[in-house]
Amino acid sequence: MKRKLAIVFLLIIISLQIYNAFAIQRFPKPEFESGHTQPPTITPDPRSNALAILDVFVLVAALSIVSWLVVKKRSRKGVFWMSIFAVLYFGFFREGCVCSVGSLQNITLALFNPEYSIPITVIAFFILPIIYTLFFGRTFCAGVCPLGTLQDIFALRPMPIKSWLEKVLGIIPFIYLGLAVLYAATSTDFVICRYDPFIGFFRLDASFMMFMIGGIFLLIGVFIARPYCRFLCPYGALLNLVSRFSKKHITITPAECIQCRLCEDSCPFGAIDKPVLLKEKEERPIAVRRFVMLSIIIPLLILVGGFTGAQFHENLASVNSKVRLANELLNNTNYGETEQEAFEITAFNAAGQSKEELYNEAASIIRQFYYGGWILGGFIGLVFGLTLVSLSVFKYREDYTPNKGTCLSCARCVDYCPVLPENKVIIQK
Amino acid sequence: MKQKVIISISLLLLLIVIFLMGKDFFSNKNKNQNNPYEYKLDNLKHIDPKLIAYNEVKQIKPDMEDPLAIDIDHNDQFYVTGKNKVIIYNSDGNQISSFNIDSTAYAICVNNKGDILLSILDHIEIRNNEGKVKAVWEAFNKNSVITSIATTEKSVFVADAGNKIVYHYNLNGELINEIGKKDTIKGIPGFIIPSPYFDLLIGIHGKLWVVNPGRHAFENYDFEGNLISSWERTSMQIEGFSGCCNPSNIAMLSDGSFVTSEKGLERVKIHLPSGDLKSVVAGPESFVEGTKGLDLAVDSKDRIYVLDPVRKLIRIFEKK
Repeated sequence: MKRKLAIVFLLIIISLQIYNAFAIQRFPKPEFESGHTQPPTITPDPRSNALAILDVFVLVAALSIVSWLVVKKRSRKGVFWMSIFAVLYFGFFREGCVCSVGSLQNITLALFNPEYSIPITVIAFFILPIIYTLFFGRTFCAGVCPLGTLQDIFALRPMPIKSWLEKVLGIIPFIYLGLAVLYAATSTDFVICRYDPFIGFFRLDASFMMFMIGGIFLLIGVFIARPYCRFLCPYGALLNLVSRFSKKHITITPAECIQCRLCEDSCPFGAIDKPVLLKEKEERPIAVRRFVMLSIIIPLLILVGGFTGAQFHENLASVNSKVRLANELLNNTNYGETEQEAFEITAFNAAGQSKEELYNEAASIIRQFYYGGWILGGFIGLVFGLTLVSLSVFKYREDYTPNKGTCLSCARCVDYCPVLPENKVIIQK
Repeated sequence: MKQKVIISISLLLLLIVIFLMGKDFFSNKNKNQNNPYEYKLDNLKHIDPKLIAYNEVKQIKPDMEDPLAIDIDHNDQFYVTGKNKVIIYNSDGNQISSFNIDSTAYAICVNNKGDILLSILDHIEIRNNEGKVKAVWEAFNKNSVITSIATTEKSVFVADAGNKIVYHYNLNGELINEIGKKDTIKGIPGFIIPSPYFDLLIGIHGKLWVVNPGRHAFENYDFEGNLISSWERTSMQIEGFSGCCNPSNIAMLSDGSFVTSEKGLERVKIHLPSGDLKSVVAGPESFVEGTKGLDLAVDSKDRIYVLDPVRKLIRIFEKK
């Protein structure tokens, strides 16, 4: 009932954007004689320093509360209400920016471009969830990330998908992560922000395409819980890696597992590892043979991936605005425009830079993409290799345990566990 | 089975979305050439014919390269100026006389004595009706762009778009005071003038009315510079004024109604003293697109004279 109320409430907030359609500007747009197009807004107005500091405090508080609710209190209800808060505060109030997901691009850009000055709050939004994940698992994903929590609220009829499919689709976030880092490192674009499916809802302003994509993600999320988090989110991919080393991760049972299997299908994200029976344990010679095979295959995949990535460096670089401009000028294609000179070319001519300078700059960027292509391809090869490992290696397990990498710490499973810490002996009996 | 179908469709949808995002990102089509913020005024240019209360009854082509300003004296003789020339017409529209000037005049005003005050960009020349220079009032400062002049028996008011102020002179050209400077204590908002269109007039009962174009407002000051009253109408619709700065020019009818001309949406309208729209004199279809600075004057019969600087015509409108 509460969940339905929450959904209705959120739908009302989202539907408020309809009012934008009736908005009338007090003054029309300025009459630019050059035909300049006002670019669509990507980021909201900068927040005041006081609010930015408040945001960091709220982030720390939210992470602490959710971690406490997950690890100590084991309260799904608490996590749910924190999700609502996260959607309202980090989503609608902060207009979703800067979010931890997108902040990894700012960090990358700051590392590769010394001219870029990164605000301390952005560093905080990037680093704090990672630190908390290192201690408590992905509690950030559980109840602090506005993108994840919004989808979580819409997970009304979650259905399980095959584990092999889950693993295969789980490669996409790593590819996305690699691409996002490559494009941020080359100062080309912030891809994650450009294709953030829910930011339009939070800002009540987005292109039709992005509203559609956001809507489709929410629709898919009704049946396949948190599709963006599981199959696209690059920050989630990063937390997936970090969470594997988490010190105090959520457990399904507070004490000893009684193998009642009640929790078996409780996870909408397929993040519960089932016990592996002793008879399924593979024999040592087979394991050694596979280890040898994998130690050959993984470096090979990295090499092949790197080589393939490098071959596509020009395609990858073609997105860069300077490379594109150089191509258009070199081929005299005028951005496909036939009736008038493209705005980009007009702007370039007006800027006074020579074509040779532009070509040199573009060549330098393409060279960066060549090395980036090697690294990206190698990284994707590594991810493929490790996925192969995870699909073929059997880990012996006696209990139902959350997968530390893919578990989003939502605490749904704990409600299914009949074991209580104070009366575990009685239950065992 | 049903579950399998739902999952398959959902996954397919997910892959399609991811594909579309990738396609959009890597696609080489030029995303910026379709201008979502294109300044379209087509719908706003249409005016309900019932609102148009005037007919164009006469057009006069002045023998002048660039006509820019018009004024009418108490005998309904009208004076047109612009590049290097002033032409005087009688009330029937026949040219009486003309004389040459050295430069371009941007505003003209004829006082009760028949003297012609001309704005030569940053200073004022006073000539008699034969063109003889009687006085020159030097520029108040180098930024001056004088766009309008109005006179009473004792005073001359000068609208300076460059300094965003109205200067109040006596007849000898001595500065008495400045009017319209921002003063929050006195409740004076200050003039916002993004482009060189800044008009004023002395209306019925001798009141000074100044346009505050950036605020789409009309402000009424006493001669000491106190703000007496004001009204503003900001709207993309016919009822108000739109764009960065409108109206560009004004005149007043004998009943105290304002005649206004606008740029951007080229039109001439009449607003009641309260500011509400009364009627339309001429809509955008009557002017060449892009026409700016339609100077206005009104004669004793409330006929409206519009100086069209693009078609280089004096256009006379009479009530239907």
